[in-house]
Amino acid sequence: MQAALPVTNRSVSPARKPWSQRLLPYLMIAPTFLIVFLFTLKPAVSAVIDSTLKPARLAQDPPAFVGLQNYADLFNPTHHLGARFGGILLNTVLFAFGTVAIGMPLALGFALLINRRLPLRGVWRFGFVYPSLLPLIGAASIWAFIYADQVGLLAAILRAANPNWLGSPGLVLGAVIVVNVWSQTGYYMLLFLAGLQGIPRDLYEAAALDGANYWQQLLRLTLPLLRRTTLFVLTVSFTFAFQAVELLQGLTEGGPGDRSNLILYFIYQNIGERRNWGHINAITIILAVIVLVFTLSSFLFFERGGRESER
Amino acid sequence: MFSRRLAFFLVSLIALLLAVVAPAAAQESVTLDFYFPEATANNAQGIFEEYAAQFSEAHPNITINVVYQGSYTDNRTIIQTQTAAGEGPDVAVMLSTDLLSFIEAGTVVPVQQFVDSTEGGADYVADFFDAFLLNSVDENGQLWSIPFQRSTPILYYNADLFSEAGIEAAPANRDELVAAATALTAEGRSGLWFPSEGFPIWLFTAFQIAGGEPLVAERFDQVFFNTTATAEGLQYLLDLSKVHQVMPEGALSWGDGPTIFASGQAAMLVHTTGSLTRILSEAPFEVGTAFLPFGPAGEDGTGYGAPTGGGNLYIFANSSPEEQAAAWEWVQFLSSPEIQADWTARTGYIAARESAWATDTLTALVAEKPQYAVARDQLAFAGKEFTAFRSIDIQNVINTTLSSVIAGDVTDIPAALEAAQAQIDSLLAE
Repeated sequence: MQAALPVTNRSVSPARKPWSQRLLPYLMIAPTFLIVFLFTLKPAVSAVIDSTLKPARLAQDPPAFVGLQNYADLFNPTHHLGARFGGILLNTVLFAFGTVAIGMPLALGFALLINRRLPLRGVWRFGFVYPSLLPLIGAASIWAFIYADQVGLLAAILRAANPNWLGSPGLVLGAVIVVNVWSQTGYYMLLFLAGLQGIPRDLYEAAALDGANYWQQLLRLTLPLLRRTTLFVLTVSFTFAFQAVELLQGLTEGGPGDRSNLILYFIYQNIGERRNWGHINAITIILAVIVLVFTLSSFLFFERGGRESER
Repeated sequence: MFSRRLAFFLVSLIALLLAVVAPAAAQESVTLDFYFPEATANNAQGIFEEYAAQFSEAHPNITINVVYQGSYTDNRTIIQTQTAAGEGPDVAVMLSTDLLSFIEAGTVVPVQQFVDSTEGGADYVADFFDAFLLNSVDENGQLWSIPFQRSTPILYYNADLFSEAGIEAAPANRDELVAAATALTAEGRSGLWFPSEGFPIWLFTAFQIAGGEPLVAERFDQVFFNTTATAEGLQYLLDLSKVHQVMPEGALSWGDGPTIFASGQAAMLVHTTGSLTRILSEAPFEVGTAFLPFGPAGEDGTGYGAPTGGGNLYIFANSSPEEQAAAWEWVQFLSSPEIQADWTARTGYIAARESAWATDTLTALVAEKPQYAVARDQLAFAGKEFTAFRSIDIQNVINTTLSSVIAGDVTDIPAALEAAQAQIDSLLAE
């Protein structure tokens, strides 16, 4: 085909490459773009659109456009979803911050310990990491047995003093946070450990020559150099916390009342009714925005701080 | 020349015939996806696979693909999601109360049409217990699903402890229940275990049925939650823990209930009859079963009343007519007296047809273990299980409210009931 075209050297100027060459980059990203489009962009756009629709009573009838009404309903305490959404949103934030506030320092502490020459280091390392290798639903089953009222492990130890861990409104969220911390700390510890091993040893030797003790080295050297790792762990653990759903399935089903309910599980509870789908999409958008805002702000905070301290 | 043409014509004709006949032949063998949930610790997968093998012997062209889908809720969510995408099972066990949601979503087809075209269809339907058919019909009385693993909650009691305490008969009303529970409470042992986590609405309906105040109107378009029966029932449950101290405080576990009872840590248990076989095999003491006594004493001194519960068989709209016809065969097989009797003996669910109780399997079982007949006899006092339009949403409202009050998280009961009723009313008005 190409040979039949009149080819002159004027048409192939350096600025204007032939269309086949200009098309090539697009062809090369096409497979990736197709996948991203089908599985990320299109669902995201449909979620935004669907969050403004209200499904009709019968499935064959078209939905009605209601603007932002679905979002407003979620904050209306007389609406069947709105009455519960506020409390569940608060639970989710508490759950996320609780997990991060307990889990991150623990993970860092464990990483610092494991990083030293301990006896039986392999055993410790395995012990810390193994909970994060379990599927969450398995972890939930183990802890359901530990917490079980009357017949559980804690009940056998504490006997009459054992509270109804998963049945008391005041205790249940804390009990679930403990399980989440237990199951994820090992993974974050691994990340911190990798960060620690990336810090050049001669920095510590220089600091030691300058007379810095262990705590000074930790505060002035280790922590600032772990900044990037910390950002990553923070983002990942926060995002995971917002995605928690298996633990609730295995432990509390969100109860009692809604005291241990979290956003994603709330979505799962209400998705069975087709007529909630507009609201469900609105909740999904809110969830995505929260995670996005958090990720961006922690990224800005740590990255900007990082550049300033490097100057 | 002519013979060549003829040969060509014949070959084309054969090819054409093959093209028409081959798919028809292929269509004769049907594979059905059968989804089921499990709410009790029975080996349902194994039992269903046995049934499927038996069924395929009689219907060699139909293969049943038995698929376990988790809890009733998981099963429903999976089916809702798959059917919305044009997929999903051909036949499934789902809660009898899911009916209206599935009708509105256009997911299921009425089994009435299959009953009408089946010889002896009317007699077949009449053989089911009336209490179980209540949750199988829509507001116009059309039959949509067939009762399968039906249950009702009953009172389990530790008969050995009853003798020790000198209690001669099972409690028959709510005051006798408190008295018995008080006598049976001891160090390390609760008098009663009334599970309230997860889906408290089911057991709680006993208060409304025994109190004579229905929770739902006949046509499923009105729900009466903010009533005296509800408020009294909630207060009664709270008093069991706080005043009489015969039960721990907070939301009590449903799943651990049978273990707690069988290990002697609770003297009485309210649970589904579907747990009967397991409890009888685990408990090292004599187990008694009785009607639920949550009503105030009536003229005859009893306060019985219980909802029915459990799962029905549904046939789906996404399936082809051939698959639906095959599914109807499988539904008839599962609801046959023999299979219903066998299922009862293996699980404790109540065989939903009267004729099942006349089979050798069940007459022998009831003679040996009369506990199995209690749930059947309780059907005389049973009311319909909660269902209404927007059933899933309304159940969520009611479950959350009951759970918050029972766990002690909300103390103003009238305000909580009023708020819940307002949400329910606006859901029904939509």
